[in-house]
Amino acid sequence: MDTDSYSSTDSEIVHQVVSGDVNAFARLLKRYQAHVVGIVKKHVPFDQVEEVAQDVFVRVYQSLPTFKGNDRFKQWLSTITIRTCYDFWRKQYRHREIPLSSLSDRHQLWLEEVTSKSSSQFFSERDSQEEAKEILDWALDRLSPEDRMVLELVYLEGYSIKEAANLLGWTSVNVKVRSFRARKKLHKLIEDMS
Amino acid sequence: MTTSKHQRQALRELLRRAYREKEKVEVGDQWQEEVMRRIGELGEIEVSPSYLVMLEQLVWRLVPVTCILIIGLTVLLSSFDFISGYDVIQFTMNSTEQISLNQFLGL
Repeated sequence: MDTDSYSSTDSEIVHQVVSGDVNAFARLLKRYQAHVVGIVKKHVPFDQVEEVAQDVFVRVYQSLPTFKGNDRFKQWLSTITIRTCYDFWRKQYRHREIPLSSLSDRHQLWLEEVTSKSSSQFFSERDSQEEAKEILDWALDRLSPEDRMVLELVYLEGYSIKEAANLLGWTSVNVKVRSFRARKKLHKLIEDMS
Repeated sequence: MTTSKHQRQALRELLRRAYREKEKVEVGDQWQEEVMRRIGELGEIEVSPSYLVMLEQLVWRLVPVTCILIIGLTVLLSSFDFISGYDVIQFTMNSTEQISLNQFLGL
């Protein structure tokens, strides 16, 4: 979306903010808050979404002078959002504030059944979804921030290697290699558990 | 336990569905106000000038100093007896050995 009820383009608003009209930033905030929150909620824990989304907008504000008017603002914003989520996990990984979740026999049983049934049979039950979520969170908690981000973008969200590389600011080769290794680690974690 | 390719594919599909099924998060006016409060604390953005602009500013700042220096040196030189470099070399050469300047420079 490039225009809103104020009929200003993103570039025009950015120019106003950079020229000293701080309040003009509220229009960008309103325009893109749903987009940013939508990305953030996929990558960070539920209770951290609001705070990380705030950090994204603060970072965007500080980075506005580097925004080139010809770039697509939404794409630029997505890049900053993904990198802020990645930074969140790097911080968490260093401090390990969130205790690693543990799995129960229920989850092990679920995994054994998954490997014997088809997925369509499985997802008819709501409980199965919950277990899948818990297992996914358990496995992702055990990966490094780099592996986690790559896995989420490429393996779970289906971004191409090039798109993920652009979002993370890494080379395509780096993303490709890390994606392969992270997938192997995830499968190993799950196999070892079951 | 090792899983086959088909089982891995099925597992991936389940995990992808679980991943997409994240709780809905909605942010309200209070959240927007909090962001704007943080932005307000940061104040106006200070745009750092490019290197070219910084160089230009530096050059213009040095212009008066350079002018004063040139004028000062001109006055200073004019107040002394001016001896050219060639005269100094010739004097040195004549006082030590009979070597012409051309020989000294290897010409």
